[in-house]
Amino acid sequence: MSIIDYFKPVSTWPAEKIRQFMKEKSTDEYNLVDVRQPKEYEKEHLPGAKLIPLGELKDRLSEIDPDKPTIVY
Amino acid sequence: MRSRAAAGILSGAGLKKVYSMGGGINAWKGLRAEGPPDSGMAYFASATRPEELMALAWYLEQGSHSFYSELSRTLTDRVAKDLFKELSIAEERHQKTLSGLYRDFTGPAFAAEFPELVIPSPEKGEIMEGGMLVSEALDWAKGKVIRDILDLSISLEANAYDLHLRMKARLEDPRSKEVFTVLSREEKEHLDRLSSLLEQKT
Repeated sequence: MSIIDYFKPVSTWPAEKIRQFMKEKSTDEYNLVDVRQPKEYEKEHLPGAKLIPLGELKDRLSEIDPDKPTIVY
Repeated sequence: MRSRAAAGILSGAGLKKVYSMGGGINAWKGLRAEGPPDSGMAYFASATRPEELMALAWYLEQGSHSFYSELSRTLTDRVAKDLFKELSIAEERHQKTLSGLYRDFTGPAFAAEFPELVIPSPEKGEIMEGGMLVSEALDWAKGKVIRDILDLSISLEANAYDLHLRMKARLEDPRSKEVFTVLSREEKEHLDRLSSLLEQKT
């Protein structure tokens, strides 16, 4: 990760919009990625979220289907 | 902030549609699951064939069914009674789905084997989703206020849904994956319903 990544324009969706999106879609239609630390995931996470801590993301890109919309938190 | 950085990395890697959740998990009003990425999976670890996964899953649904029917029978609050009745019926539906999957898998001639001859029922007593013994959960529920029992139930359901989705992602054999695809799809529907019932109740 470089400092540049912090400044890339990215879309932010409010939690409620994401909840609605997930309610309407089947879980096969999107990726849901939790980029926090394992301890945080353990304490609570969105059902079905895949844990990939931010620091590991670049090395684990193959675990995310690039053809589907991806939600990260 | 982390999720924005993550979204930046993913966009940089060429992903077209990436959405960062505003406010992170604190802003999330929906169900939450707990535990490490492999929690609950040990229960299924002994299964070597899809049929065994179906049987193991069936016993969990059976346990949850017993838990909810007993609550529905003993509680006096009308709304809670109906809610647990509804949940117990949903668990029964999952069991039927699993029996149906087994029948499709092996053919009707073997349907009667399920689940007892595939995997014998657990010796230490009925276990429900979440890994708790039904008898222990019922003991715990005695004398608790309805709010606490509902909290336990909702967390059991959220964790079961989470487990099914993680199992589905983890398994490679398509027939085994299918078991959890079907279960999570059914679970999703009744979770939506359960959440709105809970909102009414609280």
